[in-house]
Amino acid sequence: MPDAATPDIAPLAVTAADLHLPTQPFSAAGLHLELVPAQARYSLRARDAGLLAATIGRALPDRIGDTLDGVIKLGPDEWLALLPAGATLPLGEGLPVSVVDVSARAVGFTITGPGAAALIATGCPLDVERMAPGRATRTLFETVEIVLWRQSETAFRVDCWRSFAPWLWAALVAGAQG
Amino acid sequence: MLLIHCPYCAEARPEVEFAYGGQAHIARPLDPSALSDADWEQYLYIRNNPRGRHHERWRHAHGCGRFFNAVRDTVTDKFEVTYPAGEAAR
Ligand SMILES: [Zn+2]
Repeated sequence: MPDAATPDIAPLAVTAADLHLPTQPFSAAGLHLELVPAQARYSLRARDAGLLAATIGRALPDRIGDTLDGVIKLGPDEWLALLPAGATLPLGEGLPVSVVDVSARAVGFTITGPGAAALIATGCPLDVERMAPGRATRTLFETVEIVLWRQSETAFRVDCWRSFAPWLWAALVAGAQG
Repeated sequence: MLLIHCPYCAEARPEVEFAYGGQAHIARPLDPSALSDADWEQYLYIRNNPRGRHHERWRHAHGCGRFFNAVRDTVTDKFEVTYPAGEAAR
């Protein structure tokens, strides 16, 4: 029994000093986690989707949650483009569109393997099992906002803002270790 | 956890993705300086507190990002309907 003078408080399992971006992939039974290499990201906003598509010279998915050639439709007037590193889009100066380079804002992880959906479900309140391959959405992992993209039955990609990424990686690894 | 149907995402989504936005269908006066203090107070501060159907704003903050309106029963916490902002009260 701990007494009042020396309360029995367990040390935190993870401290800030333990949190950093991974330099190595992580593998466990049925799971493989990996940092996505640096790439170009654009935040796209427009009321007129046709004008935006013409401005950037790419087709855009119509339905919220759909993806098309690396572009995710996040909201009624909002898309996120995930493009190869160094890719640039026309910014549409003077037009009623918003094309903003946010490449360095987020960090991405891939989660692959038969246990991928179960690992996402350790922290995500969505019904991940019912998410169809090819669908993507903004949601939460614990309290961290993420963009979750189901790339196949057994492959997910998660993007989050950079400052949350070391914690998210630690949380995913902890979940993968069971 | 409640599931809330987002009228933009067209899906039932977990409550933690949403933020509550107060009573719905409160129109900002077009000419505030023409209002009496009592009318301005009414606009700013006075809200319904019904037992039962309540029209309220919600935002799918960690989803599509959009505000929409909902009718929620304050007794049962059940959402009766949700609909896009700008539409008439249901
Ligand atoms: Zn939504």
